[in-house]
Amino acid sequence: MIYEKHGRYIIPFDDVPSQRAVMPEISVEERKGNFVEVETGFPEEMAVNEAKRCLGCRRCLGCALCWAECKPEAIDFSMPDETLDLEFDEVIITPAQDNTFERLDKALGYGIYPHVITDLQFERMLSPTGPTDGLVMSPLNGQIPSRLAIIQGHPEEDENHLLPSLILGVNESILALHKTEELEVTLVSPFSDTFEKDYLPEAKKVKGLELVNGKPLSVKQETDGLGLLLTYTGTDGEKQQEFDMIVVLTKPKLSSDISNLSKKLNQEVVSA
Amino acid sequence: MENKKTLVVGAGPAGVRLALERAEAGEQVTLVEKFPSLGAERIPRNRLINAEQAFDSPDLEKVRDHKNITIFPYSEVKRVTKENGKIKARVIKHSLRVDNTKCNDCKACIRVCPVNMFDDFNEGLGFRTAVDYFNPINAEYNIFKEDMPVCQRTCPVNLDIRGYVGLIADGKYAESLARIRERLPFPASIGRVCPHPCETACNRQYLDEPISICFLKRFVADVEIEAGIEPTYETAEKKYPEKIAIIGAGPSGLTCAHDLAKMGYENIKVFEALPVPGGYLWVGIPEYRLPKKILQREVDLIAKMGVEIQYNVRIGKDISFEELRNQYDAIFIGAGCHRGLKLRVPGEDEYEGIIDCVTFLREQALGIRKEGKGKLIVIGGGNAAIDSARVGWRMGYDEVYILYRRTRKEMPANPWEVDAAEHEGVKLQFLAAPVEILGENGKVVGMKCIKMELGEPDASGRRRPVPIEGSEYVIEAETIVPAISQGTDLSFLPEEHDFKLTRWNTFDIDEETGATNIPGVFAGGDVVSGPNIAIRAIAGGKRAALGIHEYLRSK
Amino acid sequence: MCTGRIDPVWVARALKRGLDGFLIVGCYFGDCHYISGNVQAKAKMDMTRRLLEHIGVNGKRLSFQQCSSGEGARFAELVNEFDQQIREIGPIGEGGDQLGKPEIFEKLQIAEAVLGGEKMRWVIGKRTPFMESGNMYGEIFTEHEFRRAIDMIIVEETETQAILHSLNKGAKSVEQLSQELEIPSERVFRYIRALKRKGFVEMGQIIERNPIYQLASQEV
Repeated sequence: MIYEKHGRYIIPFDDVPSQRAVMPEISVEERKGNFVEVETGFPEEMAVNEAKRCLGCRRCLGCALCWAECKPEAIDFSMPDETLDLEFDEVIITPAQDNTFERLDKALGYGIYPHVITDLQFERMLSPTGPTDGLVMSPLNGQIPSRLAIIQGHPEEDENHLLPSLILGVNESILALHKTEELEVTLVSPFSDTFEKDYLPEAKKVKGLELVNGKPLSVKQETDGLGLLLTYTGTDGEKQQEFDMIVVLTKPKLSSDISNLSKKLNQEVVSA
Repeated sequence: MENKKTLVVGAGPAGVRLALERAEAGEQVTLVEKFPSLGAERIPRNRLINAEQAFDSPDLEKVRDHKNITIFPYSEVKRVTKENGKIKARVIKHSLRVDNTKCNDCKACIRVCPVNMFDDFNEGLGFRTAVDYFNPINAEYNIFKEDMPVCQRTCPVNLDIRGYVGLIADGKYAESLARIRERLPFPASIGRVCPHPCETACNRQYLDEPISICFLKRFVADVEIEAGIEPTYETAEKKYPEKIAIIGAGPSGLTCAHDLAKMGYENIKVFEALPVPGGYLWVGIPEYRLPKKILQREVDLIAKMGVEIQYNVRIGKDISFEELRNQYDAIFIGAGCHRGLKLRVPGEDEYEGIIDCVTFLREQALGIRKEGKGKLIVIGGGNAAIDSARVGWRMGYDEVYILYRRTRKEMPANPWEVDAAEHEGVKLQFLAAPVEILGENGKVVGMKCIKMELGEPDASGRRRPVPIEGSEYVIEAETIVPAISQGTDLSFLPEEHDFKLTRWNTFDIDEETGATNIPGVFAGGDVVSGPNIAIRAIAGGKRAALGIHEYLRSK
Repeated sequence: MCTGRIDPVWVARALKRGLDGFLIVGCYFGDCHYISGNVQAKAKMDMTRRLLEHIGVNGKRLSFQQCSSGEGARFAELVNEFDQQIREIGPIGEGGDQLGKPEIFEKLQIAEAVLGGEKMRWVIGKRTPFMESGNMYGEIFTEHEFRRAIDMIIVEETETQAILHSLNKGAKSVEQLSQELEIPSERVFRYIRALKRKGFVEMGQIIERNPIYQLASQEV
C-alpha cells in the first residue's frame, strides 16, 4: 500500500465487494442517428452495493474514550481553533514537514512491496526516536536485513539532484552499517563513479558499502522467497542482484500549499 | 522603534534554523507549521557524516524558549496579502484538544484509542493512534482530526460525499439527495457530466478501485425524478432587498443566484445571451451525455426560488454594462469561455465548412445544425473535441476523424470519453497537425497535415510535439472543426474599462471572495479560470455568493 | 431481564464452553420498558455476529428474535426453529463452521477478549448518540459509517488480541506470529511496533536476525 501523508491505512473487510460498479450503457447500434442518453444509470441494487464499498474514511471517531481514560483531565474536545489576523514586515517561506517527493517509477517497487521504502522513511528508521528505535528492520517481517540496496529513484536527473541524493544515501549507509552487524550495503546510482572520483573519495573507504555505477530499472519480489531482485544497467550491461530490503532515493517536491503561497507572494521558497 | 516582524512559514529544518537566526538578530519571529510539532532531526544532505554524530538536530528547546519566537504548530496561513510593504496574514491555529500542561505522558489514552493510523511523523512506517504525541522528543500530545475526508477536500464545492454515499448504503435516498443539495443545486446534471476529481483522490483506490461517487449522485437524483417528486429549494426567512445582476445563466451564475436566493436575496436577475439556460452545460455538453430536460428541471427549481432569468439579452448590445452597474447593487460575471480559438493556418477564414467546436456544438444543441454529410475532421484532444466528434457521428457524417498532435497518453480528454468515441467508430489519428485548409469554389475540400514526433517535455510536463520535415500529406474533408481550446469573450465590457485581467484575458479576482478589482463586481467560472470543469465553475459561483453577501452586508 | 443488558462477551464465553447456539428473544421495538434497550441489543448482537463470522464461527449460531410475553405459541415456534437450525449446523467446530476444533475455541477466547475490551464496549455504546446527536465533533454517522468504524475495530482488535494471546504463551518473532496466526507479516510488524509504542510489548533478544518480542513485564 502506498503511504501518503494524511492517507488512510486500510484493512480489507470480508463483506466489501472489491469491484467497482460499471455503468450500464445502450449499445452502439442504438446510438446511431439520435441523441438518446448513452448511460442509463445504476439500478438500485448496484447503487447500494457500490455505496457499501465506501470506507467511510474517518480517523478520530470522536468517541471520547481517551477523554474518559485521562486521569489528569488533559483532554478537552471543546478546545477551540483560533483565528488570528496578523501583520508582518517580511515573510519567509520554507518547506513544511510534508517531505513530499516526486512520484517514483512504479517499476522500482515502492508502494508494491512493503520492504521497498524511501530514503525519508529510512531516515526515520535510523533515528533513535524513530518507529523501530533506530534499528534497521524490514517492514515486511521485522527481520534485520543482511543485504541492503540503496538505489537512485530518479536516475535521469542531473548532478544538482544526484549529488545531495547520493550524499544522503552514503550517510544512511554509514549509519545503517554502524547500527547493524554483518550488513552489506550496495548503493546504485548513475553518479557513483563521478562522486567517488571528484567529490568524496573517502566514501569509498566506508567498510561494508559498495558504490555501484548504474541505473536502476526494476525491483521484483522473487516468486520463491521474500528477497527482492534488483535489475539495473551497469557499466557492462544489465545486471541482477538479490536484496533483503531496498531504499529508494527520492526527489523532494514542494507541497501544494507551500508552492501556492510562494506563487501568490511571488517569492522563492528557502530550503535548508 | 519596534522590532521587525517576520513570519516564517514551515518548521522543517530550514524554517527552524531561519527562525532562530532572525530571532537572534532581534526580529520578532512567528513560526507557523501545519503539523502538530516542530521538525525532526535530519541526516545531512550536503556533507558526509560520522556515525556518532549522524543527525542534525534542530535546537527545539532554544526555539521554544526564545523570547523573540512565537510558535504556532498545527496551524495554517490563509488570506495572505501584500499591501504597502506590509504583509497581512490570517493564521488558523488548530486545536490540539490536549492541554499539555496537564498531561503527564501516562499513555493511557494511546492504549485505549481504537484507531490505528499512519504515523505521519515517522513517514507512515508505524502507527499512531488518533490521540497521540507527534514528535517523541517533546511528546506533545494532540488529537488528530481532519476537517473532512479526502474526497470532500478534493471536491471543489466540498460535497459531504462520505455522508451522502453512506445514506445511499442505508437506503435513505431522499436524505442523501438533500445532503447533496445543501451545497450543489445541480445533482442530476453534475452526476452525469462531472469528471469527478473526488474519485481520483478516493482512498479506496489503494485497496482496489475508487468508489463510483459521481454516478451515485446521479442515482439519488434520478430516484427523485422517477418518483415524480417536485422538491422546493428553501430560502431564508429573513429577506434582503439589494438588487443583484448575474451575467450568464451557466453553472457558476445560476449557482451564485441559487446561493444568494437561499440566503434571502429577493431581487436577483440573471441575464443570458442565449435563448436557453445552463451555459456550457446546455450548448457544450451534448444531449446524449446530459439530456436537456434534466438540466431544465434543475434550472426551473432555481427559478422557483424567485430568481428571474431573462433570455436573449446580450450585455454590451441590448443593455450596457454601465447601465447594469448603475441599476444594481452587485454584479456577478459568469460569462464563461464561449469563443473557440483559431488554428492559425492559411485558408482558415476563406472557406465554408470550417467551424469551431464551440459554435458547432452550440448550433447542434440549439437545433440550428441538424444533419451532417461527408467527412468530418475534428482537431484537438480535449473533451470538446471528443464531444464534437461524437455529436458529428450522431448527426450522420459518413466518417469522423479526430486529429491530435500528440498521442493518446497526452490527451487531456477523459479517457473513458475517448474510449466511448472510438467504440462508436470515431477514428483517432495521433501525431498529426494541420498546416493548411484546402478549398474549392469557396468550400472546404480537405486539409494539408504534417506528421509530428514527441520531443522534450514542455511547461505542462507533456512532451512537446515537433513536426517531421517533409512529412506533409493531404486528407479530404467536407467539414473541419477545430477544437483547440476556448477563450473568454469580454466584448460585453465597455471598450475603456478598469478591470484587472490576466494574460489569458480572464478576470483577476480575489481568491477568497471572488471580487474583481472594481467594487461590487464579482466573477467566477470559466471567465476566471479559463476552460475548466463545471463543478469548479459552481465552486466559483458559491464563493462569489458569499463574497457578495459579505460585501452587501458591510456596506 | 432487558435484552439490552446482555453482554456480547457472554456469547463468546458460552460458545467457548461448548454451547452450540445462543438465542436471544426480546420485546418488540417500541415496546421496550427502557425505551431503546432492545434496539441496542440488536445492534450489539449484529456486531457480535459479524465478529463471529470474521473469526470463522457460523453466524447462525447467534440469533436475535422478538416476541411479546403474551405470545406463548410464537415463543415455542422461535425456540423450535432455532433448535432445528442449530441441529442442521451441528455441534460447534464439527463441520458447520469455517474452523474446526480446537482452533475454534482458541479463536473464541480471542473474541472474548475483544468483546470484553473497553474499545469495543465503549464504541458500541456510542451507536445511538453517534447516529442521533453526533460524536464529539457533532458529526452524525450514517448506519453504514458506523458499521465501517466497527468493522475496522473488529479486524484490528481481533488481530491485536490474537498477537497478545500468542505472546502470553511465549516470546516470538514477527515471522513466527505471522505463520501461527495467519496474518500477513507486514501487518504483524505494524501491530507489534504499535503495541510496543503503547507499552504492551517489549523487544527482547535477537535470534538469527529476528528480534523477539514478549509481553511487557507488567502485562504478564
